[in-house]
Amino acid sequence: MSQKLWQSDWFGPFLVTIAAIVIVSLFNPSFLSPFNIQILLLAISVNAIIAFSQMIIIAIGQMNLSVGAVGGLAAISFGGIMEVWGVPWPIAAALALGIGFLAGIANGVLCAYTGISAFVITLATLSVFKGINLGITEAQPFYEIPETVKALGNETFLHPLPWLVIPVILAAFLLWNLLFRLPLGRAILAVGGNEHAAELSGISVPFIVIVAHAVSGLLAALAGIMLVGRLQIGQPTIGDDWLILSFAAPVIGGAILTGGHVSVAGTFLGVAIVAIITQVLVLFSIDPFLVQVVLGGLILWAVGVNRLREVRAHRKSAAGAR
Amino acid sequence: MIASSRDSASDIGDTQSEQFRTVALLRFFLSNEFGLIVLVVIFAIIFSTLSPAFLSKFSLYALGRTSAVNIMIGFSMMVVILTGGLNLSVGAIGVSSAMFGGWLMQAFGLPWVPAVFGGLAMGAALGAINGIVIVQSGLHSFIITLATMSIFFGVMIFLTQADSYREISPEFAGFGRMKIQGVVSPLLLVTIGVAVLLSGLFRLTSLGREMLAAGANPQAAELSGIRVNRTITLCHMLSGVLAGIAGMMLVARTGAAIPSMAGQLGQDWLLPAFLGPVLGGTLLTGGRVSVLGTLLGSFLVTMLTSGLLLMQVGAFWIQTYLGLLLLTAVLIDLARRRYLQRRKLV
Repeated sequence: MSQKLWQSDWFGPFLVTIAAIVIVSLFNPSFLSPFNIQILLLAISVNAIIAFSQMIIIAIGQMNLSVGAVGGLAAISFGGIMEVWGVPWPIAAALALGIGFLAGIANGVLCAYTGISAFVITLATLSVFKGINLGITEAQPFYEIPETVKALGNETFLHPLPWLVIPVILAAFLLWNLLFRLPLGRAILAVGGNEHAAELSGISVPFIVIVAHAVSGLLAALAGIMLVGRLQIGQPTIGDDWLILSFAAPVIGGAILTGGHVSVAGTFLGVAIVAIITQVLVLFSIDPFLVQVVLGGLILWAVGVNRLREVRAHRKSAAGAR
Repeated sequence: MIASSRDSASDIGDTQSEQFRTVALLRFFLSNEFGLIVLVVIFAIIFSTLSPAFLSKFSLYALGRTSAVNIMIGFSMMVVILTGGLNLSVGAIGVSSAMFGGWLMQAFGLPWVPAVFGGLAMGAALGAINGIVIVQSGLHSFIITLATMSIFFGVMIFLTQADSYREISPEFAGFGRMKIQGVVSPLLLVTIGVAVLLSGLFRLTSLGREMLAAGANPQAAELSGIRVNRTITLCHMLSGVLAGIAGMMLVARTGAAIPSMAGQLGQDWLLPAFLGPVLGGTLLTGGRVSVLGTLLGSFLVTMLTSGLLLMQVGAFWIQTYLGLLLLTAVLIDLARRRYLQRRKLV
């Protein structure tokens, strides 16, 4: 399939990102200062992982409302294991990732074997995971985070690149590799595209659904752990405000919500656009409360554009067939 | 459905009509509503034996008042679920309407009746926006209401600067605190009144029938002359009004319009909004609705919450129990439907 550059999912968001960077830096040169780039990259890093966590579920045509709750549970587990048991941070991080993985498996098994819509299942597990989080912490944060973790969450390894971009680059590459180079990933997209056809061509749909949810849980936990480093505190409220962003970025990146079609680069650029707009509101001292409005507007705009593209592609292929 | 099977039974013969009667009876015992009534009774007995305070006048009054709001939130979601859609923005609409009503009272000193109607009109308008965007774009209501949830809440918090309106008319606040016979909150009466109106809408009016038909099968409904788009928009407006009523009830209860009363983006309303209709047997694919079921479902949830709080099992774990309850409910419902299908009772 010879897809032209300007037809690919990430090209539109890419243009928007470049245009935004140019315009904003013309108005405010401090936007491209190394310090500001570092701040921007820190915000993008965590949000990109959150968006990837939702993207893999959108790929199978479902939704995961519990992304934030899994991230929050992993975050307080990470903080709690270190503070209460004095476990070194890599082991604590691995355990927290394991919790996210198990939470994802639970979501996946429930979705795959009951046939109940993922919306209801993940709404229920959202509440379960958030409840466990509050039950353990009683809404009190874990304060004793090791200095190494705090440093990794905020400092740079190569000015102005923060440590946190490393997991993002790894996750993006692995996800791209999974979805577009490995049979397992093609199966994930196939299930999202047409579950029935996937089943008939020998793909085990329940297995694929469980895999996607497990990956989603793992990524949500990773985002939670990264956020503990960045905030330097194991906050129980981590994850409460992830829902809108987790859908906005993949959709801006061209993902089709009925499944089968996502873009790793597009999702990343979606996160970048959201981060730049948020920063612009701060730089030009526009009311930060408007961020929510902008996010909502971006989602509407993006789904509208995707819909138009879908309709046009449909018409074109219909014309070609004729 | 029950009626039609009875009609056909009448001319087949006595033994068979007898059979149909037991089938109808069995179906009633397997219905959601009956199951919910049993659960409500069981838990009421458990809670009142474990903690005598559960049946105290104050506790019953508080239970009625809280469930009035939760049932209304459940109704607000129910009327959209019946179209086969969702409305994630119920919380955002509810808070926005409540803030608008509060603003009318504080800024213009309006008496409470026009202020409440102003709040409800705001709810209707926001619901209409949802409906029109969904119908015109042809996109799923999930993503549209996710976006509008963020927009409505963002605009509201921007306009109010996250400040509360505390100068609520005393009569209105008094209405929220009033006790009839020492136990019944007038808010509960409002909710029951709305429930009766909704039942009437779906059972007696052609508009209600059209809503159900549009939800069950939009193409067939369109072909039989129903204007599906207009009907779906009306459902979203109704949802907005009901969310507005729930928001205004909260204002009456607390005596202030507070932007954080439904949590960040109004997300705190999502769980109660789905628990009621799902427990009550409203089909998520649309076309079937049970007003009584939603009422009982939301009431059961509120009772469980307040009972658990009273038994001091740890307020922080409540959310976990509610999540498990939703999971259990959908799984039981699944088993029930498979059983009915196997026995060919549906």
